[in-house]
Amino acid sequence: MKANVSDGAQALAALLARAADGDALAFHDFYARTSAKLFGIIVRILPDSGEAEDVLQEVYVTVWRKAAEFDALRASPITWAATIARNRAIDRLRARASRPAAPVDEADDVADEAPDAEALVMAGQDAAMVADALAALEPYQAAAIRACYFEGLTYEALAAREGVPVGTLKSWVRRGLIKMRERLGGAA
Amino acid sequence: MSTPDDMTPDELLAMDYALGALGRAERKAAEVRLRSDPAFRALVEGWQATLAPLDDDVAAVAPPPAVWAAIAAEITPPPRVAAPPVVAEPARGWWHNLALWRGLAVGGPVAAALAVVAISTPTGEIAPQANVPAAAPVGDRLVATLAGADGKPLIAAAYDPASGAVAFAPVAAPDGEAGKVPELWVIEGKNPPRSLGVIDISRGQTHSIPRERLQGLKAGAVLAISIEPMGGSPTGAPTGPVVATGALTAA
Repeated sequence: MKANVSDGAQALAALLARAADGDALAFHDFYARTSAKLFGIIVRILPDSGEAEDVLQEVYVTVWRKAAEFDALRASPITWAATIARNRAIDRLRARASRPAAPVDEADDVADEAPDAEALVMAGQDAAMVADALAALEPYQAAAIRACYFEGLTYEALAAREGVPVGTLKSWVRRGLIKMRERLGGAA
Repeated sequence: MSTPDDMTPDELLAMDYALGALGRAERKAAEVRLRSDPAFRALVEGWQATLAPLDDDVAAVAPPPAVWAAIAAEITPPPRVAAPPVVAEPARGWWHNLALWRGLAVGGPVAAALAVVAISTPTGEIAPQANVPAAAPVGDRLVATLAGADGKPLIAAAYDPASGAVAFAPVAAPDGEAGKVPELWVIEGKNPPRSLGVIDISRGQTHSIPRERLQGLKAGAVLAISIEPMGGSPTGAPTGPVVATGALTAA
């Protein structure tokens, strides 16, 4: 997996290092640069904005406390922080007894959603390559991967929503992910 | 081409976990493995890195400013009490004690997150960071000390309800940003920040804040200072960096 060594990543890593030393101003800068992205990820999983705000707060308090553990050799700062955000949002979602099943046409919206031009420019090659790899899959596979990843749905929940057996859905997703990774040149 | 059948159970679990598709119990189990099994963790991190560019497809959503205020209040070390309880000069009120203010002020830019807010009683005793009753009765003096992340107070503010004036302790100018001024906000619950106006924190200035803006100020509300264009935020909400925040507590 190639390391992200863009200037943006370096600047964020430097801010995290200062935050690890207790520099709250640097941490505010890190927050200012990353919070809209992380909040977007969380809101997608937890559309209730009050709940999403609680999780965002929790995420940055965690980032502040764990800033010293961040290892630039293992992940880019934004991937590291976004992973914490996704995990906290999913944990919150799972902690609920159940969630009303969203209608299937929402899943279509998910599949159809294209990143805006600015996001593509910002994201650079990686995002374009992953988008290509996803586009090369069967549409139902790409849609299922997106629904799991973006909405935090379990295989079971998504299978119920789509009206297919869990085993079938799992197979779609897993085969799709493996194909995607092979196309990206990673080990499968 | 590989298929799921070619993968080990760990490889499948790492993939499912990174995708976020596991149920609660399976996630917990995977997280235990993550902490104890570096090989498994490497598998998960590989998938996380593979999937991470997908995050760029998610529309960014700016969180409301209250979230940062809450974070700042939480990450600041337990505020040190600015000074030992001061025997006030009852005639003038302890908040006139400039020696105390100067003791609070430190060199360096106004830079950090937050603070102590104490509320003085009419008798002039300082009740630092005490347990918080429901609300500060109208008429109490309110005192805020906004400190750096290292716990050193940077800014002190005192509100005298009798005159409607707010005094700020001498502190360094905010980073010398030309054309920028600090603006004071109060954030009550999940409501958007409400402006208390542009302030001058550089020279111990006294300001009048319209009484109606201060009405209903309660313990638990968060004070925040953001850096805004001259004349204050053009939008009615903080537009610049929030450099200091602090929750109000009542004595």
